[in-house]
Amino acid sequence: MTTKIIEMGPHQLALEEPMYFRVQLEGDRVADLDVMPGQVHRGMEHLVMRRNLYQNITLLERLCSLCSNSHPSTFCAAVEDVAGIAIPERAEYLRAVADEIKRIASHLFCCAVQANAIGETTLFRRVMEIREIMQRAKEAIYGNRMDLAANVIGGVRYDLTPEAASYLAQAMEQMKKPLDELYLQFGNNPVLMGRMAWVGVLPREAAVECAVVGPVARACGIDYDVRKKSPYGAYDRLDFEVALQTAGDVRARNMVRLAEARQSVSLIEQCLAKLPVGPLSADTLPEIPAGEAIAKSEAPRGELMYYLRTDGSDFPVRLKWRVPSYMNWDALKVMLKGEPVANIPLIVNSIDPCIACTDR
Amino acid sequence: MSDLTTNVAAAMASAAGELTEVTWRRDRKGVLTGWCRLPSGEALLPAARAVAELDGRLAMVTAYLPERAKENGAREIAYHFDLDGATLTLTVILPLEWARVPSLTPIFRNCDWQERELMELYDVQVVGHPDPRRLFLDHSLPHAPFERLVPYSTFTNAATSKALWDKVLADDREDA
Repeated sequence: MTTKIIEMGPHQLALEEPMYFRVQLEGDRVADLDVMPGQVHRGMEHLVMRRNLYQNITLLERLCSLCSNSHPSTFCAAVEDVAGIAIPERAEYLRAVADEIKRIASHLFCCAVQANAIGETTLFRRVMEIREIMQRAKEAIYGNRMDLAANVIGGVRYDLTPEAASYLAQAMEQMKKPLDELYLQFGNNPVLMGRMAWVGVLPREAAVECAVVGPVARACGIDYDVRKKSPYGAYDRLDFEVALQTAGDVRARNMVRLAEARQSVSLIEQCLAKLPVGPLSADTLPEIPAGEAIAKSEAPRGELMYYLRTDGSDFPVRLKWRVPSYMNWDALKVMLKGEPVANIPLIVNSIDPCIACTDR
Repeated sequence: MSDLTTNVAAAMASAAGELTEVTWRRDRKGVLTGWCRLPSGEALLPAARAVAELDGRLAMVTAYLPERAKENGAREIAYHFDLDGATLTLTVILPLEWARVPSLTPIFRNCDWQERELMELYDVQVVGHPDPRRLFLDHSLPHAPFERLVPYSTFTNAATSKALWDKVLADDREDA
């Protein structure tokens, strides 16, 4: 059997961001893989140390488009922990609303891109059309379609007026049937099954070894969701089940995402029903003392972790974060091994890779 | 004390010495974070093995220059582990110059990128790393840019698609 090495870039991988792979082939099957990140490295962990804590919210919103609420909200949680700030209850619910809106839009984007990668353009357009309901909701409530600008240290900087809450409730109602339909389609459609079932399998043991998180881990039967394991914000008062699958293949990852999107609709409805009256953010902020803190959240791709160290000034001594995609790249070595070249773009997109997040 | 805090305290005392203390904080939602400063760099490997035996997952590694690093001649690396929702941070204190730390990649596979990243950003040698190549930074950048002034335009690697391809293919020839 012939062995050769090929380079693959974003065009071949059907990625909208630059990531390069060096793939070792045996015949037409993948034998090994080297991931070459760093093409959009912006030195953001350096930049955050040159800005004050308040400016960093704006910067972190622009770290990544699809996780643009998870970063600032988790960063704010770390600052709040250092300073002992308790955010108002209404703000906890509003942060959850923003997170879940982003989760639905992110999961649907991932499913759409995979449909595109296998040439199912009609399905791609259908998923994007459904996602558009979420994009419009973002635009109506936050004034933009990506960076919601929802967070401040000590709370949130947006409110849901009765009119906006009613609009969002209506949008959620509109999402239910299409999401149920997509769940059935990605689960049972023979064409999608043929391309996605038993493809890109990550066995549970390998998932534990690679320390993957989020839908990639839950598709292998790993029952871990930060919202349950380390509750934050309003999640200790919201009712949902962790979406789990066991097959560890591309299909299972999408089933987890679509089940989560459906649960996000319910979570938003619960937030709207329980939304307490009260302030949106802490009245006055204390001086941020010297200290260190860890904050975690369940971003659309899984556990997002922030570490903050402060010295009593407004500038962080160190602000470090680890994104969920960081470990998921390594798991591709297992998922791709033995797969034909033609499956590479689909499998790579099935981890919902975030390159802006990975490179920083 | 919960089972978790008792088990971690016993494991750290056994791995890193009787005087090793773990301080726990519980937030408003009941989530635990544990903080432990290891007595020496040598204690890191046994402590990490002990965390692995407790089914800990390596979550993140943070290298940093603490306050007054130059005056004190010391730097720190914090290893953050997940223990079923709780987070344990083990911190090692290293000299500012000629800092060396053992690789945890043989114990935690996902430490690989974490260590490659800290090796290129900070002036720290990770001993025993199986693949100590640069991860994100281009070879044209100086070593340990987080410890020196580097213009932002130099720092960013962003380029046109063609320039990226040329670089990827050139790397290939260098590796061959």
